Amino acid sequence: MIRHRLQAAFAVAAASALLVSGCGRAESPEQTGGAAATELSDGPATGTVTVWAQGTEGEALQDFVKPFEEANPDVQVEVTAVPWDSAQNKYQTAIAGGTTPDIGMLGSDWMPGFRSALTPVPDDIDTSDVFPFAVESTQFDDARYAVPWYVETRVIFYRTDLLQEAGFDEFPADWEGLKDLARAYQEDTGAEFGISLPSGGWNSFLGGLPFAWSNGAEVMNEDQTEWTLDSPEMVESLSYLNSFFEEGLADKSPDTESGSASADLVSGAVPMFLSGPWDIPGLELAGGEGFEDKFGVATVPAGPDGTSTSFAAGANLGVFEDAENPDAAWKLIQWLSEPDVQARWFEAVNDLPAQQSAWDDEALTADPRVAVFGEQLQSVKIAPTLVSWTQVSAAADTQVEQIFRGGKDVEDALAELQSTADSLGTGQ
Amino acid sequence: MTPVPVTPSARRRGRPSRVLVYAALTVALAATLIPFVWMFLGSVKTEAELRQRPPTWWPQTFTWDNFTAWFGRLDIGTFFVNSVVVAAFTVLGTLVFCSLVGYALAKLDFPGKRVVFTLVLVTLMVPGVVTFVPLFVVVSKLGMVSTYPALILPFLAGPLGVFLMRQFIKDIPDSLIEAARIDGAGELRIFLRVVMPLCGPALATLAILTFLGSWNNFLWPLVVAQSEDMYTLPVALSLYSVGQNSTNYGVLLAGSVLIITPVLLLFVALQRYFIQGIAATGIK
Repeated sequence: MIRHRLQAAFAVAAASALLVSGCGRAESPEQTGGAAATELSDGPATGTVTVWAQGTEGEALQDFVKPFEEANPDVQVEVTAVPWDSAQNKYQTAIAGGTTPDIGMLGSDWMPGFRSALTPVPDDIDTSDVFPFAVESTQFDDARYAVPWYVETRVIFYRTDLLQEAGFDEFPADWEGLKDLARAYQEDTGAEFGISLPSGGWNSFLGGLPFAWSNGAEVMNEDQTEWTLDSPEMVESLSYLNSFFEEGLADKSPDTESGSASADLVSGAVPMFLSGPWDIPGLELAGGEGFEDKFGVATVPAGPDGTSTSFAAGANLGVFEDAENPDAAWKLIQWLSEPDVQARWFEAVNDLPAQQSAWDDEALTADPRVAVFGEQLQSVKIAPTLVSWTQVSAAADTQVEQIFRGGKDVEDALAELQSTADSLGTGQ
Repeated sequence: MTPVPVTPSARRRGRPSRVLVYAALTVALAATLIPFVWMFLGSVKTEAELRQRPPTWWPQTFTWDNFTAWFGRLDIGTFFVNSVVVAAFTVLGTLVFCSLVGYALAKLDFPGKRVVFTLVLVTLMVPGVVTFVPLFVVVSKLGMVSTYPALILPFLAGPLGVFLMRQFIKDIPDSLIEAARIDGAGELRIFLRVVMPLCGPALATLAILTFLGSWNNFLWPLVVAQSEDMYTLPVALSLYSVGQNSTNYGVLLAGSVLIITPVLLLFVALQRYFIQGIAATGIK
């Protein structure tokens, strides 16, 4: 919480510094923005390409690009691994100081804030087979500002061995079934709670959005000009989530420390939670030997008014305006988004490929759990690509916490949220 | 601790309350020590055991894997050297500059002295995030990004240090300085031979505060170091143990042990001076 408040203060400071330093900038956005995409030169990439990548990706990428360097003997790729913690601050300051690398790894939700520092993607780079939602996150005013690298979505993780004990043959596909299962887990397998759901704090609204989307609710209208947060479908889905807390099927104040949900799933205390692909290796690690057969994943159950739809995100690769070697940078990005290379990247760090044809590779078809992610990715939505979304999301987190923990009326809370969102606007 | 003479009756009355005091102190000591003990024990547990519910106290299986990760796969030597160099120069520079400025503000008369001191106090009130980005822009315009000077220079004359030294030096009797001046000593000589020897406790306090600040600093080194060979220990710790969605607790705890142990040893070795220093400056 504190860190995010600090980050917000930092963002304001960085933004005002950008405004000040923006006056002295050589290029105006009109010159570099818009549809004026550069073209890639013929022939191999040359020179030095600097890349910043976060966490595991940053650690593994330097070795991974060796085949690219072999194919382009005159190129040298220099990867700097950047910690995830405060990574946005690092990029923001680098932009303000003009010390950006050629390529940055940008979370798909960062795009609205970073697009002004990025160059449009050359037309030569083909993203037609990339998951449409991932391309959508990079699209502003008819130009693409980054190339999707990997994607992720949220599905439900559950204990397969306890499923039978709870009297279920397969994972339920609708809301009623999910609740019955949560109750059965609690009553028949000795679980403390049936499911772990976000009850408050940062991104708790976003964490529950898959249920709202699966019930046909929308955060905004199609062209992102109006907030639609108090729709009957939204009320219905939050009331559904709230019933888990009211009936004691979910903990009102769970431990939100990283790894605690997986620890509870391993111990059987809470046998279900909603999470992303990183928890497949995470649970295998936490559960130790023999646990890999005891958990499964399932797509988000559909609500009465919709079809299963989850939250999707991922990371994109963008080239900065101040890049010294944009041509070679785009060639590296082009290579990284080849389907075959994407499948090898999945083997290296478990990142789900953004290129859909990479999913036919054996590396991805081997684990049925990965296939469930592939299935869910066919029906996903992303958070709004607006600068004001961060504020609306924070306001929503507060309302959600008041509903789930404080017993506030769902309709009242959402009406309040809608008027807050209206006053914040869409920033357009 | 100097023994306090007590009369037999006072001792009798004092006993139950003394038991209470010791009990309270024991609880406080345990509360302080247990996280450290947990960290040391946790650093030799496997990741699965660390995440186990209920948690284990004594490691079921000892493993050095978390430490071998730091010494094998990860280049802890480089990060350690970076941290030591940055901390050492920051502490030395802070001691020199802050005591010089503090002395001038406390004992010398010059026009605008009050204004300068007020400015120092004002900068004390400005939160770091406000100057963060402009500071980085300055550093990058000077072409110092990813160098040791960028990691050290911005922290050499902090307002807190100036304030601390000024307050301490102000309490040194003027007559000492005047006597030296009558004996024909120049300003530099007075500063080095008369004022500095009396500032031991304040310097020790300032040194330890600056050292800890530099050793634990995360955001500035993260932003300024643009290649991994310039990372300091806290940046490396964050990079290798805290992911976007998951944390590698084993590597985190082993790294913490490696970062904290030198500081702990330093504290134990120099404990007496620090306590003196903090007590002496804390009284005012």
